[in-house]
Amino acid sequence: MRAGHHRILVVEDDPETAGQIVDSLTTGGYQVDLAVSGSEALRRGAASEYAVITIDRMLPDLDGIAVMRQLRDDGVATPVLIVSALGEVDDRVRGLRAGGDDYLVKPFSFVELLARVEALGRRSDTIVKETMLRVGDLAIDLMSRSASRRGKDIFLLPREFQLLEYLVRNEGRVVSRAMLLQHVWDLHFDPSTNIIDVYVGRVRRKVDGQQAYPLIHTVRGIGYCLRAPD
Amino acid sequence: MLLTKTLRSSTFKLALIAIGTFGVIMSAIFSYVYLSTSSYVRSRSDRAVMADYMSLHGVYERSGRDGLIAGIQQRLADKGFAERVYLLVDPSSTPLAGNLKAWPSTVAAAGGWAEFRAAEPLRNAASRPLLRAMIETFPTGDRLLVGNDISDLDSFTGQIELAVISGVALIFVLAGVASILVTRRTVDRIESINATSRAIMLSDLDKRIPLRGTHDEWDRVAENLNLMLDRIETLMGEVKQVSDNVAHDLRTPLTRMRGRLEKAYHGQRIGETDQSLIGDTIADLDAVLRMFSSITRISQIETQARKDGFRTVDLVEIASEVVELYDAAAEQDGTRLTVAGDREVLVTGDRDLIFDAIANLVDNAIKHGRAGGRIVVTNENIDGRAVISIADDGPGIPSGEYQHVFKRFYRLEHSRYTPGNGLGLSLVAAVARLHGARIEMLDNAPGLKFQLWFSAPIR
Repeated sequence: MRAGHHRILVVEDDPETAGQIVDSLTTGGYQVDLAVSGSEALRRGAASEYAVITIDRMLPDLDGIAVMRQLRDDGVATPVLIVSALGEVDDRVRGLRAGGDDYLVKPFSFVELLARVEALGRRSDTIVKETMLRVGDLAIDLMSRSASRRGKDIFLLPREFQLLEYLVRNEGRVVSRAMLLQHVWDLHFDPSTNIIDVYVGRVRRKVDGQQAYPLIHTVRGIGYCLRAPD
Repeated sequence: MLLTKTLRSSTFKLALIAIGTFGVIMSAIFSYVYLSTSSYVRSRSDRAVMADYMSLHGVYERSGRDGLIAGIQQRLADKGFAERVYLLVDPSSTPLAGNLKAWPSTVAAAGGWAEFRAAEPLRNAASRPLLRAMIETFPTGDRLLVGNDISDLDSFTGQIELAVISGVALIFVLAGVASILVTRRTVDRIESINATSRAIMLSDLDKRIPLRGTHDEWDRVAENLNLMLDRIETLMGEVKQVSDNVAHDLRTPLTRMRGRLEKAYHGQRIGETDQSLIGDTIADLDAVLRMFSSITRISQIETQARKDGFRTVDLVEIASEVVELYDAAAEQDGTRLTVAGDREVLVTGDRDLIFDAIANLVDNAIKHGRAGGRIVVTNENIDGRAVISIADDGPGIPSGEYQHVFKRFYRLEHSRYTPGNGLGLSLVAAVARLHGARIEMLDNAPGLKFQLWFSAPIR
């Protein structure tokens, strides 16, 4: 792994929130640098190489989006996770359009933050080129868009396959409901029902039903994680 | 008080300007009539005098002083010259002929026109008449005066003058009185509107501006203001209702959380219990936060700012995605969820919002429909308009409740305890309003049918 791949720059001006973010990311195994203003973020972001940068929208000196633009102009290609209390879709879209890689709305759970940081961090180093992905005895074929366990085909609808693919690509990492909605359905809002759980439940019955061990695990309060037993 | 207001009123100032302008124009017209009438009358009399004078002048040139005397006497005897005055005097001002007794002292000129009052009454008249005469001094020193009694003319122009002045004065007085009355009426009405406005500002939102029942423009202004007040009152009521509901819906989970935490605080630390307690508390907090984001989301949709991002989208595609997403949930209830209708139904709009609206309607249909029932999402092009219907075969709702269901936090009594925060349909309503779409609720007999009527996109 290259140097800096476990270093994260957190740009956040509220001391308590910053402390919580730093704590949870440190617990998650990252080295964390904190910048409390836009100018400090620009200095640090340009000076060192980070796996992921998280930027708060409302900073005392600069808008988070302006900071991100400046970093991009300076040639910093590090994935950026925008964190903001401005939660409406327009704000999200504006943030993403300005060069952000993901968007997280305050208040958020730290597991969700960690999940998103992990997904972004991985995106920056591995690009999956294989057409077959395997987890335990599950195999999914990205070309024929089919899945099987122990060689036995699993019948999945296109969207169900997409969901499984996303879980497989994030193998061993927690994937939140919002992330599923965003990546599988391209929806940038929370439909405020348990609809995702019901949907995942159906996929899970198809994938894990009558198998030796379950692959899809529920992470209480957050979402799901696909992993094979050790 | 009222008088000061009347005098300060803009209506009154306008009236004054109108009266002033009108008065100037009227005076100009009257003066013109007066001047042209009097000069016409005067010039007619002058022409007659001139002609008479010319003929006498001719007589004098032909037959000298004696001929002239004879001519004057002949004319004096003639009734056709009754209005005329003549006088011929010698160089020592001794009268030789004519009906004036002496050369008038005020007339000094040696020739031309003169106007003067006679020294004594003429021909049994009571007063001394006003005369206008042509005068000539002959080379011999004899002087001739030929003139007319213009008293009648004078009194005629005097009458015109009087009529003009009194007419103009009368108009000014009437206009002044009228403008004060009109202004007073206006000020009166405005004052009553102002008084009501002040009363409303002092918190009495249920006050209304009194109508006079005259159906004039003032009544219309008052009616519109009253309608506006009705609308404001309704909105205020809704805001109050919403905050009451928010307070209620927030208090429930907050109370639960507080109780749970308090119990844990006084109790013993047991790893497993604490874990589930914290988990439940986080779930409750999430529900509260979701409610907040729903409220801000609806408010934001209602600001219309999102219209900029409108594109042509296919309702069938969106509906199919929603149905696919909710299929699992429907399956859990044993409900059949299907898409029907045309193969392509295009509208101009925001995909995410339309998705959200349809998702809410489908979600409602699943929740409130019949378990093991049937839900059909139909997309149709009807008369150039895009229509999507979501129909269930559940118990439906009483038609009397139709108008209420779109209110924020409105929940039918029997669904008070099912999950949901009562914001779903108000979001649907907000999305529909943003898209200029009409919502219809129909009895699906049995069940409920929601229809969204979009106007189709311009291609």
